Amino acid sequence: MSRIALRNSVLISLLVVLLPGLSLGQVRYLLSGIVRAADGTALPGATVAVPAIGLGTATEADGTYQLNLPAGPQQVVVSFVGYTSQTADVKLTHNQRYNFTLAASQSELGEVMVRGQQSLKEKLTTTQMGVEHLSIREAKLLPALFGEVDILKTLQLKPGVQSGGEGSSGLFVRGGSSDQNLVALDNVLVYNPNHLFGLFSVFNSDAVQSVDLYKAGFPAQFGGRLSSVVDVKLREGDRQKFTTSGGIGLISSRLSFEGPINKGKGSFLVSGRRTYFDIFTRALNRANAGKEDYSPIPDYYFYDFNAKANYTLGEKDQLFFTGYLGRDIFGFTSPNGFKSNFTWGNTLGVLRWQHVFSPKLTLNTSAAVTTYKYDLNNSIDQFSFNLGSTILDFTQRADLDYVPNERHTIKVGAMLTEHQFGVGRLQRSSQDNSVNFGADVNYVGQEAGLYASDNFKASEKLQLEGGLRLSGFRSGSDAYGGIEPRASARYSLSDKVALKGSYALMYQYVHLVSNSGASLPTDIWYPSRLSVRPERSQQVSTGVSYLLGDGKYLLTNEVYYKWARNVIDFKDGAQIFANNDLDSQFLFGRGWAYGNELYLEKKTGKTTGWVGYTLAWTKRNFPPQLGTTGINNGKDFYPNYDRRHNLNVVVLHQLNTRIDLTASFVYTSGAPTTLPLGRFALQDIYQGGIQAVPIYPDRNTYRLIPYHRLDLGMVYKLRPSRMGGNRDLTFSIYNAYNRRNAYFIYFDQTRDKATDKVTGYAARQVSLFPLIPSLTYNFRF
Amino acid sequence: MDSLGFVRLTRALGAATLLGGLAGCGSLQKDIDVPLPAYANELVVECYLENGRVPRLTVTESVPYLDNSQAAAAGSYLLKLSNGQSVQLPADVAVKLVLPSGRTMNMAFKPGMDETTGKYYTHIGTAPITARAGQQFALDAQDQRGRHVTGTAVVPTFIPIDSVKYKFNAESDTSRRAYFMTKWTDPAATTDYYRLMLHKGRPSNNSETDNDIRDRLFNGQPYAQVTRYRFRPNDTVTATLYHVDSLYFDFRQSVRNARNANGNPFSQPSGIHSTVQGGVGVFTVLVKDQKRLILR
Repeated sequence: MSRIALRNSVLISLLVVLLPGLSLGQVRYLLSGIVRAADGTALPGATVAVPAIGLGTATEADGTYQLNLPAGPQQVVVSFVGYTSQTADVKLTHNQRYNFTLAASQSELGEVMVRGQQSLKEKLTTTQMGVEHLSIREAKLLPALFGEVDILKTLQLKPGVQSGGEGSSGLFVRGGSSDQNLVALDNVLVYNPNHLFGLFSVFNSDAVQSVDLYKAGFPAQFGGRLSSVVDVKLREGDRQKFTTSGGIGLISSRLSFEGPINKGKGSFLVSGRRTYFDIFTRALNRANAGKEDYSPIPDYYFYDFNAKANYTLGEKDQLFFTGYLGRDIFGFTSPNGFKSNFTWGNTLGVLRWQHVFSPKLTLNTSAAVTTYKYDLNNSIDQFSFNLGSTILDFTQRADLDYVPNERHTIKVGAMLTEHQFGVGRLQRSSQDNSVNFGADVNYVGQEAGLYASDNFKASEKLQLEGGLRLSGFRSGSDAYGGIEPRASARYSLSDKVALKGSYALMYQYVHLVSNSGASLPTDIWYPSRLSVRPERSQQVSTGVSYLLGDGKYLLTNEVYYKWARNVIDFKDGAQIFANNDLDSQFLFGRGWAYGNELYLEKKTGKTTGWVGYTLAWTKRNFPPQLGTTGINNGKDFYPNYDRRHNLNVVVLHQLNTRIDLTASFVYTSGAPTTLPLGRFALQDIYQGGIQAVPIYPDRNTYRLIPYHRLDLGMVYKLRPSRMGGNRDLTFSIYNAYNRRNAYFIYFDQTRDKATDKVTGYAARQVSLFPLIPSLTYNFRF
Repeated sequence: MDSLGFVRLTRALGAATLLGGLAGCGSLQKDIDVPLPAYANELVVECYLENGRVPRLTVTESVPYLDNSQAAAAGSYLLKLSNGQSVQLPADVAVKLVLPSGRTMNMAFKPGMDETTGKYYTHIGTAPITARAGQQFALDAQDQRGRHVTGTAVVPTFIPIDSVKYKFNAESDTSRRAYFMTKWTDPAATTDYYRLMLHKGRPSNNSETDNDIRDRLFNGQPYAQVTRYRFRPNDTVTATLYHVDSLYFDFRQSVRNARNANGNPFSQPSGIHSTVQGGVGVFTVLVKDQKRLILR
């Protein structure tokens, strides 16, 4: 760590320590509790406010809230999107708890209408910047590829977030690569959040409550990744009655079951999903069987299960459990005996105990396990070939929330993770032992984090948040550590205009081994070691938020600059499979990202939505090293997720109580790509036809054509069936004007159709998805 | 699954959703104009020396990828092949081969075809060479336009094939196929690289399989390479095992990576790791063992 960074850390540490010393002398009491829906599920992000004195807060991820209020009678108003607001008269004579239960509003899909204007007001007044909150209800309304609601793809519609390519659910946030996102499900890391090469995320929309994406000003409780935090929360089951819900789509179906435990003392939710396009591909294979030039499409499907349970042990204690199991499965058996099976997926589980010491002090402790692995098995006769990789984490953490008075919200916590890396497992063997060799490269690492932060309301106009995270990592005899200061501030120029700024330093000790630029199941996670130092990034951002149109619109402009060192890439032609010397394949360099994000939101009225425009630059530099010329001979280059312009327009319109219409439009500049400049003829040892071998210039010197796409959607709420419950039909049209976006370009020979002789060479652009309509039937009873 | 498999699968998904007749949205592939920056042609050398054979060498020129071979550069001419492909041949390149003894053999510009391998060549030596393990050869090729390619190659040691065998599957009809296994023993003291080719019929035909293998995972142990069930009854299969040096192995890998990257969006393009300097290409000495079986 440099001297300047150390000095900054010390200053911020002092700020964190000294600020809580300031307090008010008025008699005040703490009002705390939990906001739930009528079915007992906790409601995160609900607004709890006392309009008479202009105080308010939003509920946490578990639905809890805390408000420090003057003693005496207070009228508390609670509101949340899709629910009828509730008002309660509370007489505060001591610290006390008060729980709220909100009833769903008349139209279940009417969330956009009833959402209080305070949500934009809250966003205006919070110190946190660079954060996007998305409820699953918003995601469910928007059109989706193949009708598969995907909360990660919906995040791609927010400014500062790029997708990895057509249809991909990969996230590239403010110039960070996809492995620099901390994707967590109920605070547990998900190593590979994708199914099918990133076409779908692992998050089942029936089980997800909401997601928060942090792009900057990262709270101190988060660490371990450079660029973003994707904080996904599963919803809780119905505490009042047993409910079944699900959906039938074109490529998958979902089914969820939830209900109370022990007469409402707790609840559970289990949710499953499975695709069935293996049925289609098998039909295609059967239809084409016997055709000489037809190679069968392998069987493929994925499934995932989510489970969540909570149980109230007493007034002060609650237990929570979250579990996930997902697998992608490829299978291929040739008619003449060759078999191949390829399986990959995540498994995770976490048990959390929440204890409320007092309305001012809450402790959450948890134990979690998460793993990602892939296994590839090929066999023929007595010979077999197995390849695999695993990462397995055991994590313990404790988080303490302390609200000493209305001016301070203090968070302190610690976490310890044991990583077990099965970097490469390869075995080639035969039953008669004539072939038997393999490699098994394993590492163990311990990662620790200790943090403290304080959100300090210095005055009505000024609010500060300072945090400090100490992180460390050890693998064998190699140990690294760092101090990660975090700071953000909000200054209100008026009740409609706020200025904000933030700074964050992040370390990443675990690295993704992938040179594909896409999320592949064969990605390998690798620890920091002697030759692989931790990646580090710093980001400063500043912005202004302006509440317009009588509070109906929030216009935000944020500028950011991020710089990183020890970022990882790979040597030209790196061998990352079955390589027990991966250290020798890495390259280390620096990165920069800077840009401006303009964001206009509207959350009330029949028509809601947002417009986001991002102007951004992302650069990397890998100087000559380890006997190589680096990348592009040490010159700066744009990685393939650099996009100069990005425009997103999202509109949701409630036509009537039964019909919602939605549309989303995306425009991005073309992605950098590498095309060959020259070619040469290679005969090889034997004359087997002359091959044209491409000669590539520097990396990413060409750009694909700009990408743009319009998606349309409609949700039609059906009348209740005889069994009761809610039903709807969701129509989606992906790529409504059938734009041929470029997925990739390749060069190929052109041939005379009559003689099959080569006539020249041509560039060919391949698109992945044309216009794709889809229909999904959803039910809940 | 490779990228084409991925694209096929995703399109199958698309097709499944388009059963309602919307499949008429047109092709998902089209030819486009790509304005590429200027590219300066380089000399390309391809030379595989073998003990006891007269050395032959091919010198060509690389060209802009989308060049449709309408005109040759000054000093070069276009060689039209029977399949319509054309290759740009520089006619002004003087080539010298420096033997292990230090003696220089001038290689004359005499384009022709090697009857044994079926390969074209542009330059030919004057006499068969003797190549023993550890000896070094050097190459010097220079044209009259200032382009100058040099390279050296060391003769690898001979590694014999221990055994070859095959086994048919249980089918009795036209789907009866055999796999083929080639086994050899890797020396423990060195890091070794191999190229194993299996041919049906004459080795000058297209190879059935072609694998580049390094001993990272089986150093000092016996190793067997097994094919899928792919050979039919009465096929004559020739296994050729080349013990190659790391430079040639790297060149092969880089050629494979470069070719795969053209058309694979998941692949990172690779520059060509030539074994020569001043141009593009390969200069190496081949040491091989061969075994042949008729599959009955």
